[in-house]
Amino acid sequence: MQKKNLAQLILGDWNTKTVVGVAIGAALFGVLMVYGGVKVFTNTNLTTAMLIPVIVGAMFGPVPALVACFFGNVIADLIGGWGFWFDWSIGNGVLGFFVGLLPLYGADINKGIFTVKHAIIFAVIAVLGNALAFGVVTPLFTLLFFGGELNITFLQSLTGGASNVLVLTVLGIPLLFALAKRNASSQNLVKE
Amino acid sequence: MSSEPLIVFDHFSFRYASQQVETLKDIHLTLHKGEKVLIIGQSGSGKSTLVHCINGLIPNSFKGEISGSCTVAGMDISRASIFSLSKQVGTVLQDSDAQFVALSVGEDVAFALENQAIERKEMIPLVKKATDKVGMSDFLMQVPYTLSGGQKQKVSLAGVLHENVSILLFDEPLASLDPYSGMQAIELIDTIHQEDRTVIIVEHRLEDVMHREIDRVIVMHEGEIVYDGELNALLKANILVKYGLREPLYLQALNYAKIPFDKFEDVTNIQKIDFSNVQNELKTFVPKQMHKYIDHSEILLRVKNVSFAYDEKPVLKEINFTVYRGERLAFVGKNGAGKSTMAKLLCAFVRPNKGSIELNTTDIKVMTIKEVGQRIGYVMQNPNHMIVKHLIKDEVRFALENQSLTTEQIDVRVEDALKICGLHSMRNWPVSAVSYGQRKRITVAAILALKPDILILDEPTSGQDYAHYSEIMDFLDQLNKDHGITFIFITHDMHLAIEYTDRALVFADGALIADDEIQAIMANQAIIQKANLKQTSLYYLAQACDLNAETFIRSFIEHRSQS
Amino acid sequence: MKQFVINVTPGPTFLHHLTGKTKVMLFGAFIFYTLMSFDVRLLLPLFILSLIALFSLKPSWKVVIALFTFIFFMNLINLVLFWLVDPDVGQYYTTETRTILYSFGNFFLSRETFWYLLIRQLKLMTSFMVSLTFILAITPSEFAAGLYGLGLPYKVCTVVSLAFRYIPDIANDYENIKISLQARGLEMDKRKLNLFKRLKDNLFILLPLIISSFDRIGNIANALDLRAYGLLKKRTYYAEHEPTRADHFFRFIAIAVLLFSFAWIGSRMIWPPVTQMWTPF
Ligand SMILES: Nc1ncnc2c1ncn2[C@@H]1O[C@H](COP(=O)(O)OP(=O)(O)OP(=O)(O)O)[C@@H](O)[C@H]1O
Ligand SMILES: Nc1ncnc2c1ncn2[C@@H]1O[C@H](COP(=O)(O)OP(=O)(O)OP(=O)(O)O)[C@@H](O)[C@H]1O
Ligand SMILES: [Mg+2]
Ligand SMILES: [Mg+2]
Repeated sequence: MQKKNLAQLILGDWNTKTVVGVAIGAALFGVLMVYGGVKVFTNTNLTTAMLIPVIVGAMFGPVPALVACFFGNVIADLIGGWGFWFDWSIGNGVLGFFVGLLPLYGADINKGIFTVKHAIIFAVIAVLGNALAFGVVTPLFTLLFFGGELNITFLQSLTGGASNVLVLTVLGIPLLFALAKRNASSQNLVKE
Repeated sequence: MSSEPLIVFDHFSFRYASQQVETLKDIHLTLHKGEKVLIIGQSGSGKSTLVHCINGLIPNSFKGEISGSCTVAGMDISRASIFSLSKQVGTVLQDSDAQFVALSVGEDVAFALENQAIERKEMIPLVKKATDKVGMSDFLMQVPYTLSGGQKQKVSLAGVLHENVSILLFDEPLASLDPYSGMQAIELIDTIHQEDRTVIIVEHRLEDVMHREIDRVIVMHEGEIVYDGELNALLKANILVKYGLREPLYLQALNYAKIPFDKFEDVTNIQKIDFSNVQNELKTFVPKQMHKYIDHSEILLRVKNVSFAYDEKPVLKEINFTVYRGERLAFVGKNGAGKSTMAKLLCAFVRPNKGSIELNTTDIKVMTIKEVGQRIGYVMQNPNHMIVKHLIKDEVRFALENQSLTTEQIDVRVEDALKICGLHSMRNWPVSAVSYGQRKRITVAAILALKPDILILDEPTSGQDYAHYSEIMDFLDQLNKDHGITFIFITHDMHLAIEYTDRALVFADGALIADDEIQAIMANQAIIQKANLKQTSLYYLAQACDLNAETFIRSFIEHRSQS
Repeated sequence: MKQFVINVTPGPTFLHHLTGKTKVMLFGAFIFYTLMSFDVRLLLPLFILSLIALFSLKPSWKVVIALFTFIFFMNLINLVLFWLVDPDVGQYYTTETRTILYSFGNFFLSRETFWYLLIRQLKLMTSFMVSLTFILAITPSEFAAGLYGLGLPYKVCTVVSLAFRYIPDIANDYENIKISLQARGLEMDKRKLNLFKRLKDNLFILLPLIISSFDRIGNIANALDLRAYGLLKKRTYYAEHEPTRADHFFRFIAIAVLLFSFAWIGSRMIWPPVTQMWTPF
């Protein structure tokens, strides 16, 4: 395997596998946004959809994760029919990018490499990414598009962010460990 | 053959990156332009792997280690891109779910044309032509999830038909087609071959493929080519059984009657064989005393006036039947007739719009899926719809762990099921590293381990080779005899229905058009036609020799089970 | 299989028959137009227009009304929150006065805040109506083709159409996994379990669902590759017919609306910089 440079790591390969991976990611993201958890705490979006960029990012890199999140959100809007809220799609895209940075700090799920060190970096980035995406980007766009009361807008956006952090760390990290272990176990098969 | 070599394997070996041993071993093979080649071999013997070398998925998509060389139309596969190969090679994949990539039938058939940036004006007639050929032109606007397995397969066929490629690969094109559609598919492939294209077919249903002439047969066994030559010579050499493959039924019958094949010049086409001088030998093979199937009395399941629709379009209309304890039942009939849907209704996966289903006189309306599941085990048509675990043995274990069994009991049952299904040596493998047929066997094992009262198997033998198939079926039959377990098989294999079931329900276009002993059904030409069924070659053989077909087939089966 | 709001097969009405590119253009232009301004004189005509468009599509009214009510009240709750937190919220966007309409002790509703909240609601509902009309008029394939027609790389457009191709499969898989788990001994029947247990079980389905979906990537990518996906720099779309006269007309409208919006932003919002919304008072 040749060493990839930074730009390639960020952009991803965009071969057919990447396209399919992003599409499947977007589809899952959309479905999970609509059906995956909203019912429980009406109004707060504690959604498991945020697990998707974790996997897309781990497999293909940050930009594919961003695209999967952005279009995943658009798709959720399309199947839910409640209109497009681009302020949130953009925020989700930004967060997807950060969550998807995994290959840049050496985690390689495809080869089964994911250590405690990676998990810590992942958690830190998840917090920072959410702070940026839902503490800054989404509320800014909301204000730009629709105006509104500053505190409430930030508060709403940040609850979304906080629940994302929860999902990313409580479910995302175990998922990454499990995937890594699984991929590592699919090597050197021999009939017994 | 005189024409130029098109595909050349030389000292070729391939090992999947995740495997320790080679899957293809030292392959030497030259295929020529315009040939029609059939590849047969046991499930997991490497047929799909060989096909993937020709279309470039190896090494472009499946990583691994190649040694030796393989050239396709002058291109070395270890260097050629998948695109340059796709201009020469069209493939229908084994997994028809994956093959369907667009949102509607029309778009999917057009997909290759779209990628070549062909103008829409030119695209429309091409799509029409291709779908006409497979009889799907009324379905252009249909979305994939409303199609039955067989219908999807036809769309996949149409999707590669219009391409201007010189080599066409069909990986088990018949796997989920009903007998009549299967025959049509073979005729279709033959027409394509006439258009001066090279055709390579991988198929377990040898006898169905023989419906049209084949130039050459390749037999694979554990990653090696063990036979490469004419079909006639292969059949006469009597070596199929050695590699766990089924010979055509009529030849099997001749074998049982100890009639040597040298008596005939060409054994590949039953219509052209002159049986006149072996009539007497065949007659003596039919025993006097026939055992009749047992009468059952205890009602286990009763379906009353059941109608069902997924959306507006009715799928099943006014279905009535009864299943008795200890019975072996077959659901047969056309693609899309509603057989799988009927099975889902029995298992309470979907609930009837009208009518009722009673299990031991309790309406299953009041039962949960789990409660029904403890009584009725269902192996779904598509293995990918059932598998939830990563490792094979975990998949088989899973259901048992939800029951109150000790670990030892579970271990024993898991081991047994894995052994019966020929998966024991791979029990620690991930599901993603096995062939399609092997995956199907995993699901059979998972349900077998549960030992339910009623077992429903949806196309248990599709994609299976004879050795594995008969091992599983004979085991199931034993379970039936020893423990009175009731079976329902959903199958397109008429011989399976005759050999292993007592009674058949025939479905066509949502209606139950016949419910009778299987022999009686196979004698009814009107029903056969209406439900897209087909007589087996044993029937023709019996007719050709002026024998009573029913007794002849019975004695054939009797003979097989004794040997 | 749950019914989606977006249709997979094109409907029969006039708007349905436009090309995907036209629909995406119209949507883009009108949503931009909606988002740029708080001017009731711009929003109200569009709201009425989209209402007419919606009627012409002959939608299932049950769904439309349910969605409309849902969005309406969601936003209403938001507005009430805004007002509770800061009864003067309207001041910053309208005239900087405080004309009290009603007061309840310390609390009050001012004319400015009321007007602002009213217009914001109108704006949100207009944005919703434009989106809904678009969603009901287009199919996923047309959406992908339309995005491509506007110059997006087709690999990105494929993400949309391919995602929609697999959503029913994912929904099916979800059902199948659930059924398969149930049939093999996991109780998940609604009638028999409390909410918490059901949640936990949902997670139990979710993991195999996510993993098996991603496991499919290889197979699907193979099927695409084998039919020459990615061969050329460009591609054509079976779902995108040649533009008709109506298409040309509506594309012209879309461009006009976009130009108007830019002119409006330039002349009203940047220079001279008017940050306040138009008010009748
Ligand atoms: N992607 C893969 N990774 C690792 N091993 C694989 C992979 N695909 C197949 N194999 C292994 O290669 C062997 C041959 O598989 P292949 O799919 O070629 O069989 P097949 O002859 O087509 O069988 P079937 O009739 O069941 O389709 C199998 O034993 C399988 O375990
Ligand atoms: N989930 C579904 N949603 C909508 N329609 C469906 C669904 N599944 C099947 N159908 C439709 O129901 C009909 C019966 O399908 P079913 O799968 O029961 O047929 P089948 O007899 O098993 O066919 P085959 O032999 O091809 O497997 C078909 O016309 C199919 O299009
Ligand atoms: Mg195969
Ligand atoms: Mg079926």
